[in-house]
Amino acid sequence: MSPSRSPGKSPVSWTVAAILLLAAIIGSLWVPIYARTTPQIGAFPFFYWYQLLLVPAVAIVSWIAFVLIRPRQGPARPPAHAADRPDRSDRTQGR
Amino acid sequence: MAFNAVSFTVLVLLFALVTVVGFIAARWRRAEDILHLNEWGLGGRGFGSFVTWFLLGGDLYTAYTFIAVPALVFASGAIGFFALSYTVMVFPIVFVFAPRLWSVARAHNYVTPADYVRGRYGSRGLSVAVAVTGILATMPYIALQLVGIEAVLTVMGVGGSTTNAFIKDLPLLIAFIILAAYTFVSGLRAPALIAFIKDTLIYLMIIVAVIYIPMRLGGWSHIFGVASGHFAKINPLTGKPIGSLVATPASEWAYATLALGSALALFMYPHAITGIYAAKKRDVIRRNMAILPAYSLVLGLVALLGYMALADPTVTAGVAAAGKNAQLSVPLLFANMFPSWFAGVGYAAIVIGALVPAAIMSIAAANLFTRNIYMDLFKRDATPAQQTRVSQFVSLIVKAGALAFVFALPKTFAINFQLLGGIWILQTFPAIVVGLYTRWFHRWALLIGWAAAMVYGTVAAYGVSVPGEPGTHFGGSTAPILGHTVYIALTALVLNLVVTIVLTAIFRAARVPAGTDETEAADYTEDLPSEPVPVLAATTAGSAGPAGVPGPEG
Repeated sequence: MSPSRSPGKSPVSWTVAAILLLAAIIGSLWVPIYARTTPQIGAFPFFYWYQLLLVPAVAIVSWIAFVLIRPRQGPARPPAHAADRPDRSDRTQGR
Repeated sequence: MAFNAVSFTVLVLLFALVTVVGFIAARWRRAEDILHLNEWGLGGRGFGSFVTWFLLGGDLYTAYTFIAVPALVFASGAIGFFALSYTVMVFPIVFVFAPRLWSVARAHNYVTPADYVRGRYGSRGLSVAVAVTGILATMPYIALQLVGIEAVLTVMGVGGSTTNAFIKDLPLLIAFIILAAYTFVSGLRAPALIAFIKDTLIYLMIIVAVIYIPMRLGGWSHIFGVASGHFAKINPLTGKPIGSLVATPASEWAYATLALGSALALFMYPHAITGIYAAKKRDVIRRNMAILPAYSLVLGLVALLGYMALADPTVTAGVAAAGKNAQLSVPLLFANMFPSWFAGVGYAAIVIGALVPAAIMSIAAANLFTRNIYMDLFKRDATPAQQTRVSQFVSLIVKAGALAFVFALPKTFAINFQLLGGIWILQTFPAIVVGLYTRWFHRWALLIGWAAAMVYGTVAAYGVSVPGEPGTHFGGSTAPILGHTVYIALTALVLNLVVTIVLTAIFRAARVPAGTDETEAADYTEDLPSEPVPVLAATTAGSAGPAGVPGPEG
């Protein structure tokens, strides 16, 4: 993912985000983890409540990853940033 | 099945409401020139987080969710829940690559996935291959929507009981024509706006269903108890249990590969990529991947409707009477459990939830044809009016193709329609997703790898017979390989990648021309407002910065 890394973010943030997302996927992909009936919650076998709980868990994990790697939030006044990084303004021409 | 005037009236009223909204949508965030594909096909590329959430949810959760998945759960149990696992995995996966796709599409004004492939690899052959795959794979997905609507109409007693083929399909035809009309007028704005109503209906319906129906059926322990007992019975045709309440060791591979294959395939579909391209900002996509799982939760709860249907003797009798058509289980459950008017609301949620994505899918497939086959190969200087005419014509062909799938394929499990589409569309993954990160793959290697995987996948799926009916074809989407039962789409993808890698090494060693790459590394991380404002643009280098002007809906 390094090519989409934004300048304001450390490699640590990217690594943590990548590990979180990977864990979320493996938690669902590795079926033997949850292919069993017990422990139950109410009448729900483990197989069902685990997967239903995984949904909000993955949503939270994705949100954390989003916050970790989101572009640096500055004041919403563009000129300040234009002064920071005056490069590449030519790229927007001619499209 | 008996005709119920109250349910029917509620359905017609809600459908009329959606139709009016569909036509009004043309005025919503009105553009100066709606004939431009950026406007008509991508809603002006200006959708923020809120609208994108409804749009992506609106075109991803379809009759697949409400008819096909519960039908599989009803008939086979745990294996049907692979769909929940799939929707759990899909968002973290898309989280990773979708922002890069959005950026490069924005930087070069790409409208279709094949546009991007042509720009990246400088290969018209490859972009045509991607376009053809997109159109082909979309057809069975639309066919699934038609089967879903048919199931609702059958249970409502509308047309379904007559033997006259024309009258039988007339309600479906009328619904489709109205839908096509407002989609042409309003473009992508129509389904985006209708998605608000559709999702409200769906959330209302599912919350009521998962609270009210178990109470009437004697609680969850009774529901799971009935399912457990039912699936333990031996199927005389196969000599194995009918199903299982928890994934068995023998089905774990099928479960995991069906889920992973579906997750990787979903955002290769042209209509899903349309939803990504239409986002206003790069941020919108990642933020959405964190909030879209709300739909996965709905999918999981809807899948449980399959067990509720199993615990209702009236439903199981109805399904058996209709030639074991498991697709009828959810509509029958609504008819039997809910008062007529609320059953009508439930039917409307399913029908609208099937028609809207069917429209988006046919538009996306038609755009693929117009831009990447008609214009690239036949008429480069087509005027907007000509493009529109071609799109209209092709969207009809796509719908006709979908109907052909409905008639040609066994309908035992409608979910196989979507899985068959997945086998095909996943073969564009190397060109699209891997291409976002590296240009190492050679264009001809990609093309040959794609062709090999398409042939393998189609032949393998053709060879699968309906369980207990030897001699039939396209009866399933998994096939045994190396001692495990695996989703054919993934096996084909592995073949695709192996062929591509080996041939790339050979072509590179032989110095075969690699084609021109019109994209630059920086294009993949750009986050620009669509209007080129030089001062603003400077802030967006390397995807940092506040990303432009605040939009109308924030």
